[in-house]
Amino acid sequence: MSVGQDARLFDLGYRAYDGPRERPARAILTLALFTMRRVLGLGRGGRHKVLPAITLAIAYLPALTSVAFSVLANNIVATDLITYGDYMFIIGSALALFAALVAPEALCPDRRSGMLGLYLAGPLDRNRYLLAKGLGVLAVMLLITVGPLLFMLAANVIAGFGPSAGETPKLLLRIAAAGLVTALLYTSLSMAVSSFTTRRAAAAVAVVLLLLVPASVVRPAIDAGAPNALDLLSFPFVVFDLSYRIFGEQPGDDAPVRELATWVVAAGVGAAIAAGALVCWIRYRRIEAFR
Amino acid sequence: MASALPDPSQPALSVVSARGVVKRYGSTVALAGLDADIGPGITGLLGSNGAGKTTFISLVLGLRSRDAGELTVLGHDPATAGIEVRSRMGYAPEHHDLPAELAATDLVRHLSEMHLLPQRAAVQRANDALWLVGLGEERFRPVGTMSTGQRQRVKLASAIAHDPEVVLLDEPTDGLDPMQRTEMLDLIRRIGTEFGMHIVISSHHLEEVERICDAVVIVEGGEVVRAGTLADLRRGPAGLVVEVDERADELASILRARGYNITVEGDVLLLGGEDGVHDAVRDGVADLGIGLRRLGTRGRTLEDVYMGGAT
Repeated sequence: MSVGQDARLFDLGYRAYDGPRERPARAILTLALFTMRRVLGLGRGGRHKVLPAITLAIAYLPALTSVAFSVLANNIVATDLITYGDYMFIIGSALALFAALVAPEALCPDRRSGMLGLYLAGPLDRNRYLLAKGLGVLAVMLLITVGPLLFMLAANVIAGFGPSAGETPKLLLRIAAAGLVTALLYTSLSMAVSSFTTRRAAAAVAVVLLLLVPASVVRPAIDAGAPNALDLLSFPFVVFDLSYRIFGEQPGDDAPVRELATWVVAAGVGAAIAAGALVCWIRYRRIEAFR
Repeated sequence: MASALPDPSQPALSVVSARGVVKRYGSTVALAGLDADIGPGITGLLGSNGAGKTTFISLVLGLRSRDAGELTVLGHDPATAGIEVRSRMGYAPEHHDLPAELAATDLVRHLSEMHLLPQRAAVQRANDALWLVGLGEERFRPVGTMSTGQRQRVKLASAIAHDPEVVLLDEPTDGLDPMQRTEMLDLIRRIGTEFGMHIVISSHHLEEVERICDAVVIVEGGEVVRAGTLADLRRGPAGLVVEVDERADELASILRARGYNITVEGDVLLLGGEDGVHDAVRDGVADLGIGLRRLGTRGRTLEDVYMGGAT
């Protein structure tokens, strides 16, 4: 028997904490980062990583394909490659899937498990809580609204299809603007929907329905004589169209909202973002966090 | 300073002070002009279910707004300085729902960071707190795989890891077996006496409060019906103990007929401390011609105090 094998610590004692403390605003960043990790499945079991990984793969696959095509194929020109505006359209399904995955995961379990009450019993109020959650969801959404475009830009530059040095900053700004607007819209709408239920699955289905149903209903209504502005309810198509305009590209001839002026489309997207945020805020003013 | 033990030579600070606090939910009055002063040490917030304890805690945390009255916590109004107040408090809720897949150490660390501890300190203190509550070996287990008793300990660790000045514990022994309950109460007593944290423990178990608390606030119907230190509340006789050699039931009947409340335990009668009770016992014993073995006063228990205040 080695010396000390039977040694045991019976009482580690208690030490008061007299070190530095962060400022209250730090709690917002802490919760935002925690939310990002949670929805991406980081630090969680393998099954929590599957859906985020699949969605990210769907979002980045066209960029990878385009890059491979530009590198491996002969006699191609820049116009043969996917445009940035097209890219947002192509990954539309991944965006919808991601929105249906991220916001419900970020919001619903906190209310279901009582964590919301624990958060609000600390240095957060409801507004700061929502801000933290919104930042977390937005950051994750940016992973697929900005990330693939930046990846494609870098690959195009390496393959010799990139913009000129003078055009690059402008293109980077356009990527950031289109990605941010798209991410904001999906974040706002999906958080608004998620604020109505504590069940992730129900929220996910509702997010998908919100994104798809109006888009499939308004076009027949417009064809039947309703005003073109009704197209603004086709949220995915509106934001795709705005992305095309940000990149200075033309959407396809059958794009729903191409008849509308740019300022109308921008105002429509802005209104949808504001409405989603307002609904979510109002809901959280009324939600009983303490039980 | 959260870590400083209370200095007995200094005047007692008021941890929580409430004056005429009113809270309504629609037409239901949850708190009807509640007045309370909660000082340092361990204070029991005692009352039956629906008495208003949890509503009061939610007001103390600034999670609900009061309809009238004044409330200060550590010198601040939680309605207007909620973040300031809550950053100095720890809270363990009554419910046992916690994120199931999170390891205990991750949950406590995260909540410590949310209470503004730097990341490295949060990791260290989360581990320390879990060791302290007896979950050191289990700290990497997901909370969802833990028993109710272990979850109660995780909640306690979460409430104290960031070294708050005040800890609010809502029914901390709910769902525990007798052994676990004893251990939890000992732990809370130790935290309240050795760690310099002021503890407010909400409970409807008289014996728990009597066992570990320095002071009690008894709430019924949204009002404080009794409050003070346990020593003060129990001071003074609660009534008489009368032991006779026979016919105790007949003596009890005579005394009841004269309007006295009596509990009979074998040959022993327990009476209240009402005026004239001594004379009534004397007369009753004389009328029955029985021997009086013992006549003495009995000390008040918290149950006497509670029943006197709650009824």
